[in-house]
Amino acid sequence: MNNNKEVLIKVENLKKYFLVKKGFFGKKLTYTKAVDDISFEIKKGETFGLVGESGCGKTTTGRCIVRLYDVTAGNIFFSNQDIGHMKEKRLKPLRKEFQMIFQDPYASLNSRMTVSDIIGEPIDVHQIAKGKERQEMIYELLNKVGLSKDHASRFPHEFSGGQRQRIGIARSLAVRPKFIVCDEPISALDVSIQAQVVNMLEDLQKDMGLTYLFVAHDLSMVKHISDRIGVMYLGKMVEIASSKELYKKPLHPYTQALLSAIPIPNPDITAMRNAEVLEGEVPSPINPPSGCRFRTRCKYAMERCKEEEPKFVDKDNGHLVACHLLE
Amino acid sequence: MENLNSNSKNIPKELWTKIDDTEKNKEQISRKSLTYFQDSWRRLKENKMAMIGLSVVIILILIALFGPMFSPYEYSDQNLSYSSLTPRLDIYKVSDDSYIHLANGLRLYRVTESGKIIELLSATEQNLIEKKITYDVKGKTVLLDFENQPFKLLDGNGNEYSYHDRVWNKTYLFGSDDLGRDILVRVIYGARISLLIAFVATVVNFFIGVLYGGIAGYAGGKLDNFMMRIVDIISTVPLMLYVILLMVVLGSGLKPIIIALGSIYWVGMARIVRGQILSLKEQEYVLAAKSIGTRHWRILTRHLLPNAMGPIIVSMTMMIPRAIFVEAFLSFIGLGVSAPKASWGTLANDALGALRSYPHQLFFPALAICVTMFAFNFLGDGLRDALDPRLRK
Repeated sequence: MNNNKEVLIKVENLKKYFLVKKGFFGKKLTYTKAVDDISFEIKKGETFGLVGESGCGKTTTGRCIVRLYDVTAGNIFFSNQDIGHMKEKRLKPLRKEFQMIFQDPYASLNSRMTVSDIIGEPIDVHQIAKGKERQEMIYELLNKVGLSKDHASRFPHEFSGGQRQRIGIARSLAVRPKFIVCDEPISALDVSIQAQVVNMLEDLQKDMGLTYLFVAHDLSMVKHISDRIGVMYLGKMVEIASSKELYKKPLHPYTQALLSAIPIPNPDITAMRNAEVLEGEVPSPINPPSGCRFRTRCKYAMERCKEEEPKFVDKDNGHLVACHLLE
Repeated sequence: MENLNSNSKNIPKELWTKIDDTEKNKEQISRKSLTYFQDSWRRLKENKMAMIGLSVVIILILIALFGPMFSPYEYSDQNLSYSSLTPRLDIYKVSDDSYIHLANGLRLYRVTESGKIIELLSATEQNLIEKKITYDVKGKTVLLDFENQPFKLLDGNGNEYSYHDRVWNKTYLFGSDDLGRDILVRVIYGARISLLIAFVATVVNFFIGVLYGGIAGYAGGKLDNFMMRIVDIISTVPLMLYVILLMVVLGSGLKPIIIALGSIYWVGMARIVRGQILSLKEQEYVLAAKSIGTRHWRILTRHLLPNAMGPIIVSMTMMIPRAIFVEAFLSFIGLGVSAPKASWGTLANDALGALRSYPHQLFFPALAICVTMFAFNFLGDGLRDALDPRLRK
């Protein structure tokens, strides 16, 4: 599909471990392996969806890419520059290029700042504009996300969730980025507002030529917006495919289970289909299962899954999957 | 989707109506824009006790600043012949235009009807064996018979002068102390010292406590650990011992107390702010600021500290009365300002000796301490409620 397009983001063997202190004097060090050795690419102008259960490391991956976290190991290339281990000082000018939209529109706006201060902050920090020009830019950004001039002097608590999320989007657009990580931007919103925000994101992508990493657990929404989708389970990537392909022909047992869990707004169909329900909880990422991480909940689990970690194999023109069944 | 469409086709055309213009204006916000502090102020105004506290604090500040200007006395002015006068005077009528007041210690004063003291009368004749003293009040003889309680005030013919009235002391509204100093002006002067202490406590808390705690909380990790251990060490220093040691070096007075409070008093605030910052720095708006590339200092001062302002202001209003109380206590046990300067603590201490005879000397400084404590505490309580966004209606 997009094979000939330029690669904007390339993640190689990314690992992010969080230190968990255990033992009486903190002697026994353990790690939460939030993201454990994942690799993928995002091409210019596309939307890469990232799905998975809560706690599987989707958000951590997104935050590593915009360097809110220092990565434990692995490389992140942004337009062929390795930003994974770059020092903050060198990173700062690059921060203009990639931005993030946050999950909770109530927590992501500072309640003590006016809307114009919130949107103006990136402009000030990167010294893009001053005085009247800055004000004009803020109005233009507000206009772009469907808000009006007279909202500029108001405070976040006066807005609804959808409006607040749009303010957050305006803030991330202020530096004219090339790439935006959308960290579940719609999951905290009312269903009636979700479509509004998603459509706006699509329009902005067309207008400004943006590239998205779209993190979500609402599968139907991800299908709608993404060009390609990566499925994560417990810090590992299990399947990457174009969104059409993934929904038509899911290969990994986990993906199959996930897709069968999508609610269909028709009680007759829901009653007829027998959805695969995954049993049990996600194992703790502090102490993940050996071999294939999904084996504890996988109905096809074999002896081999316990011993050997499955590798990514290309099944069909970029449809990557990591499962012993399919090798 | 097809189901939905077929459903909508079943609805007859008449039932479809055009939505009105209100739908277009949905994005508009009609409520007046209030800043965080306007909103808090609105809620504070609804709290009566807090408003009383606030007005008392403001009145106290005004009195401390301008009160001494209106007083005819200085805090150090002594008048030994007018010593230990009470704020209420029992006066006796001698003649139409002359009244007398008998104070403790067999002192007879000529006063006006309204309670102004004119002079201390000197005896024309003293007969200590018969326990009688004779005075001359504007040509009339007054014989003070102190043989039996209650003492009698007799005229030349042996008739008792009639008790006229109990009036306020117009010369010394709060009475005078054992050296004849006006207690009112001394209490006002004490308010200055107490408010100076309050000011020092505020400044120290704000500049050292808030910044120290903010930096420790924001930096986290090893630096935080190190900084908080310093706080632990400082907080173990006993304040009293510290003040006494400082007094050995600096001499007694207000200076050692201010230095002691200034160097120790911010640790509580540092702990509170650190705790606040630790929880606030995980908020998404801080992450947003980081992803923009905002500098640490700007994140701390623009994002974190303003959001921690509620607890900071509340604990500040709680710490101010405590500082005032510490000063009063230290002065009370004799470690405070030295005479003739007066703080509420030293005033209370001075009054202790003559507590049975002159309770008013203790009453007024104690009242001043109480009122100030209450005012600050009520204000603090009210601010805590007003600044808590969860209580926003």
